[in-house]
Amino acid sequence: MMSMQDALLAAGAALLHAGGLLAVAPLLKTVIKKMKARLQNRQGPPLLQGYYDLAKLLRKEPLRSEVASWVYVAGPRVYFAAAVAATTLVPVVFAAAPLEAAGGILLLVGTLALGRFALATAALDTGSPFGGMGASRDMTIAALAEPALMLGLFASALAAGSMNLGVLVRTLVQEGVTLHPADILAFAGLFMIVIAETGRIPVDNPATHLELTMIHEAMVLEYAGPDLALVEWASAVKELLYLTLLVDLFMPVGIATSAAPQAVLVAIVAWVGKVFVLAVAVTVVESTNAKLRLFRVPELVSISLGLAFLALAIRFL
Amino acid sequence: MVDTLNVDGLVAVGVPLALAIRLTSVVVTLMLARHARACRWVALGASTAASMMTAGVAVRVIESGRAIEGTLFRQAASETVLGYSVTPLSAWFLMVLGLIAVPVALYSAGYFAHAVARPRTAAVGAAVNAMLGGIEVVFVADGVIAFLCGWEVMTLGTAALVATEHQSRQSRRAAYLFLAMSHVGTGCLMAGFMILASAAGSLSFPAILSGHVVSGPVRHGVFALFFIGFGVKAGLIPFHVWLPEAHPAAPSSVSAFMSAVLITAGIYGLFRVCAFGLGTPDVNWALVFMSVGTLSAILGVLYALTQTDIKRLLAYSTIENSGIISLGLGTAMMALADGRSTLATVAATASLMHVLNHAIFKGLLFLGAGSVGMATGTRHIEQFGGLLRPMPWTGLCFLVGALAISGLPLLNGFPSEWLTFQALLLGFSSTPGMIRLTFPLAAALLALTSALAAACFVRAFGISFLALPRSRAASEAHESPVFMLVPLGFLATLCVVLGLFPGGVLRALEGITASLPGLQPPAAMVWDGLGMSSTLTSFDHVVPAMFGLAVLSGLIVSTALTARRGVAVRQAPTWGCGGELTPRSEYTATAFSKPLLMIFGAVYRPTRQVDALAEVSPYFVDEVRYRTEIEPTFERYFYGPLVRGVMQMARGMKVLQAGSLHAYLAYVLVLAVILLMWLGGTT
Repeated sequence: MMSMQDALLAAGAALLHAGGLLAVAPLLKTVIKKMKARLQNRQGPPLLQGYYDLAKLLRKEPLRSEVASWVYVAGPRVYFAAAVAATTLVPVVFAAAPLEAAGGILLLVGTLALGRFALATAALDTGSPFGGMGASRDMTIAALAEPALMLGLFASALAAGSMNLGVLVRTLVQEGVTLHPADILAFAGLFMIVIAETGRIPVDNPATHLELTMIHEAMVLEYAGPDLALVEWASAVKELLYLTLLVDLFMPVGIATSAAPQAVLVAIVAWVGKVFVLAVAVTVVESTNAKLRLFRVPELVSISLGLAFLALAIRFL
Repeated sequence: MVDTLNVDGLVAVGVPLALAIRLTSVVVTLMLARHARACRWVALGASTAASMMTAGVAVRVIESGRAIEGTLFRQAASETVLGYSVTPLSAWFLMVLGLIAVPVALYSAGYFAHAVARPRTAAVGAAVNAMLGGIEVVFVADGVIAFLCGWEVMTLGTAALVATEHQSRQSRRAAYLFLAMSHVGTGCLMAGFMILASAAGSLSFPAILSGHVVSGPVRHGVFALFFIGFGVKAGLIPFHVWLPEAHPAAPSSVSAFMSAVLITAGIYGLFRVCAFGLGTPDVNWALVFMSVGTLSAILGVLYALTQTDIKRLLAYSTIENSGIISLGLGTAMMALADGRSTLATVAATASLMHVLNHAIFKGLLFLGAGSVGMATGTRHIEQFGGLLRPMPWTGLCFLVGALAISGLPLLNGFPSEWLTFQALLLGFSSTPGMIRLTFPLAAALLALTSALAAACFVRAFGISFLALPRSRAASEAHESPVFMLVPLGFLATLCVVLGLFPGGVLRALEGITASLPGLQPPAAMVWDGLGMSSTLTSFDHVVPAMFGLAVLSGLIVSTALTARRGVAVRQAPTWGCGGELTPRSEYTATAFSKPLLMIFGAVYRPTRQVDALAEVSPYFVDEVRYRTEIEPTFERYFYGPLVRGVMQMARGMKVLQAGSLHAYLAYVLVLAVILLMWLGGTT
């Protein structure tokens, strides 16, 4: 059993960790938007636009449908809570996650699924056909992405001999990053899934409100004001979390193994740099591809599933 | 001291006493047939008392780890002795039965009054006790005769319950199908037991299930017989066809028994005989278990997704969970075949844990479906809607069940699925050769299953309980009486408690797995008292209670962020796309599952028919009729030809059995002559 002091320390670390990611997440969304705009020869929003938007939404009057029940109110809150809690399982700056004693990859995936369940259920609560449409499509894509996501994660986890992200990162740092061909395949597979899970083109278009094509946006169409702020913020955290997960699994170089200020500084710079590179990749994919029809998404996901399976096969056979 | 003695005394006679109570209550209920109210109280009261008694015995066995044995029936003249033995494995299943049977009986006290016609109350009450008594005998029997008697009583009791509404053709058909399938299964079991008994020269389980009675091809044959026999009851695909017909036909609280408890009789058999009674399992057996388990899980949930009858939906989901249980057991068998006892223990623990968890959340969901059905008079999801307003507590409990069955963290579906994943991943990393690739494949399909289950239950809960009522019945619904809500609340609480503290369940299972041949519970599985670990804490562990605190803090933060003092929430109508928002503009359950129906079109093979009816001109359509249907693959391509073949054979045999007494006398004569000649020849 943990001592009281350890528990308090872990709780403090978790608070700092989650707070830090919450603070940075809106920036990532804006950076991607800005880079996309530049690729289209537009100016794009100022870098702090994400924060302005959240502040504006949080200040607004809470407005809800008269049809909706408490489930509609709970949806964004559970979604937010799940995303925030999930951050405590993923190492970011230190080669340890604040709550790694609570669980590993399976708990992480399960928690994100819990948030999605809450939001999709809440979307059905207003009686608007858009909510139902969005919930149906979001759950469909999530269901298809789940096996590929799990298999991709298993491929990297089994190589390190642990499903706990803290232990996994420490093993990887100790053994050094090898860039085994299996890693490249698993990375490619997981990257596709991250795109699907974060609602980016070619799976979903975060910028559209065209009724026939939207998925995530349709699901949260009825939300306004503070409720919408929670959804937007949690989505941003989720995206940052997925990119950090990719960094942790395939390129944990530079992560701090001690609390020395120098190491921490290097780790922060390294993390920001790596996440930025992934953000550039997401932007490029988004700017150079067209959105897929919903019924073409299974093909994309099966490619990812195939890559993950191949990764397992070539590493272990 | 005196106290303990009394308790021990009660434990020693607990099982026969419980069965006696059930038997008496069956007789009394049938005698009181004219007084529906008295019947209800006698039958359900007796059932509660008996279940508590057997559960008490079971808990004692689980605590002490020692089996309790005794005699059920003895006849001196023929020297027939039917004994019972509550082994730790039996105790686990008995405990699950008791845990579900008590709240379900309480619920039924209210439910039967509304849902079962008064003249039928006696029959239903008697059949419930017969079925549960039969299942108890199955769990505790220590010989073939008692086991098969219990098995048959259980089957007949269930068949009577399925046929409760026998004025409807569908119920009669469901009962007939159930009986036919069950008896195919029982036939296989009898054949299997006869082979084992004649080889061992005994009818007692310790003798015939010692593991070295038969060997070689006979052993494989016996395995196949038992697998079919128990697989039918466990509802594994392709033996599942009775299940989605029978579960919805019975009254809802009986469906809860059937889904939560009856299928565990099949699972118990698979454990006791197939996995641990025929010696070290063969690798191919394990592969059969794993593939049938995975197939049942994935097809079960896919079919569940498209159902619009809430009880059929839950029935298909039972097939899915039965598949997950078998997948765990198959992994255990694979490990046993390789001689890796630790891994086998993890997998068997996962499987047994899911038996408990599934019983709890499926019992809860069926009871919830029963309440909803009682309030609206229908089982059709498309006619519900907005039920959370009139039925807030039922809705909340159903939501907890929906979250649990989707395997989401903090509820009890998660720990057992987590442990199944652990078993599969450890299986992958410790098995040599190509065969190891079956593990990640099964893990990927398990991930798909649980994600589809989430989609299925977002749909089931959301369409039924949220937004506007879709029919008049739904808008006039009202909450169920308190003593139907208490059992729901109890089961929902169990979902949360077992989800947050899975360590306790693991500890109870330690003694049970230790009693099974070839298994060795590793000490490291219960981690920190609260959580669980996969034998190696460095591989993976989970402490849901701790994570629950993190989620709770997240909830507090989100509430604090959005709390606006002095600003009232403004209510506004939902935008109805320019028109008025009516229930007709809501998304339907059929539409919700449509994308998955199309993506998995190869499995469903859907047919759709759209008719536009117009009177004046085809451009002014008055009415559009839409009909869609998925192809019942197994019924059409497997059972269809089988049934036709059997019928054809029967018609062929009609020549012999034409109803003429003279012909029959001639057959007897011919047979007697042939036998005499044969006997004469041998001596």
